[in-house]
Amino acid sequence: MPITFDQDEAALIDVASVEEAEPLLAWLQDHKDGRVNLAACTHLHAAVLQVLMAGRATIGEFPDDAGLSAWMTAALSHEASLPSTTD
Amino acid sequence: MTSPLMVQFLAESRELLETVSEQLMGLEREPENAEMLTALFRMVHTLKGNSGLFEIREMTRVLHAGEDLMDAIRIGQLPFTPATADTLLEAMDFVALLCDELEAHGEISATHASTSASLATALRAPLGRATVATAQAGAVPATVESTGSIRGMRRIPADVRDDLLKRLAAGEMLQWVEYTPEAECFFQGEDPLHQVRGISDLIWCDVEAATEWPAPEELNAYHCNLIFRFVTTASMEAIAEHFRYMPDCVTIKPLSDSGLTTADARQDGGGDTRGDITRIRIDDPDLVALIAGQRSMLRHNTAALGLTGRIRAAASTLAACLHSVGDMSADESLDAAEAASLAEGSGDALVAWIERTFLAEGSAALESNGIAVADSGAHPRASDQPHLAPRESAEPKAARKAEEAPPPQRSLKVDQAKIDRLMNLIGEIVVAKNALPFLATRAATVYGSRELSREIKAQHAVINRITEEMQDTIMQVRMMPVSTVFQRFPRLVRDTSRALGKDVHLVLEGEDTDADKNIIESIGDPLIHIVRNSLDHGFETPAERVAAGKAATGTLTIRARQETDRVLIDIIDDGKGIDPAVVRRKAVEKGILDQAGSDRLSDQAAVNLVFAAGFSTKDVVSDLSGRGVGMDVVRTAVEKVNGTVTLESTLGSGTHVRLSLPLSLAVTNVMMVESDGQRFGVPMANVIETVRVPRMNIRSIKTSMTTSLRGRVVPLQSMNTLLSLASPPRPNDHDEYATLVVRSGHESLGLLVDEFCGTTDVILKPMTGVLAGLTAFAGSALMGDGSVLMVLDMKEIL
Repeated sequence: MPITFDQDEAALIDVASVEEAEPLLAWLQDHKDGRVNLAACTHLHAAVLQVLMAGRATIGEFPDDAGLSAWMTAALSHEASLPSTTD
Repeated sequence: MTSPLMVQFLAESRELLETVSEQLMGLEREPENAEMLTALFRMVHTLKGNSGLFEIREMTRVLHAGEDLMDAIRIGQLPFTPATADTLLEAMDFVALLCDELEAHGEISATHASTSASLATALRAPLGRATVATAQAGAVPATVESTGSIRGMRRIPADVRDDLLKRLAAGEMLQWVEYTPEAECFFQGEDPLHQVRGISDLIWCDVEAATEWPAPEELNAYHCNLIFRFVTTASMEAIAEHFRYMPDCVTIKPLSDSGLTTADARQDGGGDTRGDITRIRIDDPDLVALIAGQRSMLRHNTAALGLTGRIRAAASTLAACLHSVGDMSADESLDAAEAASLAEGSGDALVAWIERTFLAEGSAALESNGIAVADSGAHPRASDQPHLAPRESAEPKAARKAEEAPPPQRSLKVDQAKIDRLMNLIGEIVVAKNALPFLATRAATVYGSRELSREIKAQHAVINRITEEMQDTIMQVRMMPVSTVFQRFPRLVRDTSRALGKDVHLVLEGEDTDADKNIIESIGDPLIHIVRNSLDHGFETPAERVAAGKAATGTLTIRARQETDRVLIDIIDDGKGIDPAVVRRKAVEKGILDQAGSDRLSDQAAVNLVFAAGFSTKDVVSDLSGRGVGMDVVRTAVEKVNGTVTLESTLGSGTHVRLSLPLSLAVTNVMMVESDGQRFGVPMANVIETVRVPRMNIRSIKTSMTTSLRGRVVPLQSMNTLLSLASPPRPNDHDEYATLVVRSGHESLGLLVDEFCGTTDVILKPMTGVLAGLTAFAGSALMGDGSVLMVLDMKEIL
């Protein structure tokens, strides 16, 4: 299971493939205050990334993987620090 | 065409196409139904996406055009008209044709390209009017593009920029790369993030949305909307090599300090006032880009030649934008601004107008498109996030409902061959289980152990219960609702009645009635034939109907229901009915029977003559039915699955065709009879009754034997004679003959056999190989004691 969904946290583990994008999007919509934990994630598909970006996901932990972390920080850090304006 | 993916694609596409047609027809009835529109859009979208997997350009092109059209209708830009439905249906037919060809040949012939193009044009034709603005937007990307990399560089934070400048000063070669994947790239199996992660020696990286993110509930996760930018020390060749499959999506250039500083200057310079008159909200990213483009053009080209033309072009584009969002309130002020700009010979007045009219709300969006002033530093403020206009925030509930992933499917798609195999295996278990009672008897008689015999019997009861349940379940698995056949009819009736200039309303009932898959599949064509016949011959034109005192619109009812172990399908029309006199005359003309024979027939029997081979009442061969094959094809097809078809017709008020079909083909109930020491099975469907006829009641008329049963004369035949067995029928001790009365067409016939052996359910295996030539037998079945029962095909031997 590349993504485990919890009450308030979605944890991406190993590789999150393109198929995970929609379930993740659904979860983000249902859990506006949910956090996404990328610590154990080694790679995620760009579709998943854009879900995180568009869904303005709050990133609980960035990946341990340095290469991925650089991209994730670039893509998600400033978005995450903003208060959501959609609701 | 062996790829399993392709097989699945074709299966899914067909399913989708069926549903699309259904939805289109539904929409014709209620064009305002937003739910159906959205569903339709999604289906066309899915089809398009799937087709992209296989590089079927012809298909993708048409579907793409269809998707655009549906999208325009869905968001209310265009109305849904019957003409739209026609175009879309035609497009879907074309896609179905391509699917067929793909299945047959594994590829699509090049000849379809022109059809595909013309269909796509036809689909897009209504879009022309609605998207003036989008058409003009084509000119804008160039503006955005040229500033794109500068804009991207602006996103480099100051500390990184300083570091980069230092490295450049030290003579290091740095490459600036901007990678904008194609929107549809996910469908081609690409992972842009994986692609960029393949680059080593990154100094700085950035990911941004290509266009503003829509609200999460409207996001299409599979539509790539990302721009990747990075600065690396890797060589230009290495990067080009890395992106060799997507050269069009990548811009690679050596980073220069001047480039960096330009970006820097732009970032620092040009602070501007923000309009605080909020007048018009623009949410569509395309429009925002368009307006931003106009603004930038006006701002940056004040001294350029041809300014008058530019101002006019910008003004008309802006007007088109206003119209496309349906807001004309600013028209006047736009005209005034245009006039002012022209008079001044500078774009300032229009720029001011843009800022006045669109900014405040749209400012963030305009800025993020990189042309506007940038007071947003490394950390954009909250207000820079695009606001949601009230129109949008009201919508998401409905939109979200449609976008929400459907609940996980609880059903599996299984190859029918697997189910068939499972059923065969269960059939074998039934046979093996039936051997247990014999074993029990042997245990008692041969080995003298009554106790063991009892235990075997007890065990048999358990196994029996389980196998029966298993058999029942597998039957359920094979059951399909008749709706799978019925769903073709709305389209058929609509198209056919239109072609014939008739007005027919179709009523479908009992669509959820279940029957075995084979049965359902076998009745598809006969039903279509009946319906076509009904539309062609049965219904009158509206004028004729009115003249006959009926409603102008005819009603065709197709109703399915279950009655004990049969499925009954009624096709009822309120057309002109069948004239028995015409049928009689035709039958005589075609030599189906002689004048005397036709006169003897009752009216009801006469109309059933339409099922006779070679009968067709319509003289002109039409495109739809009446090819002379007529209803006998229907009868043959229905009888093949042990069904019957009857027809009742009242002249002037309509026709009623009834198909009666078995629920399942798998288990056949047979009557076992013994003749000349051999056992035979006779399908119970053929058996009317069993009687014992005393020898004295048999009368011989010439060489034929007859008897009278309850006042009716029943011809008799000896089973032995029919099967070419030499011995005569054997009467029982009371000198009575066991007589099986069977159905033979509309008559009944008595078969003299030696003994009845009861009825049983068997799994009938058709004769295969050499034995397939023995038409006298419908098949064979394995009995519990290991013997083989030959089941007679009564139609063949009588």
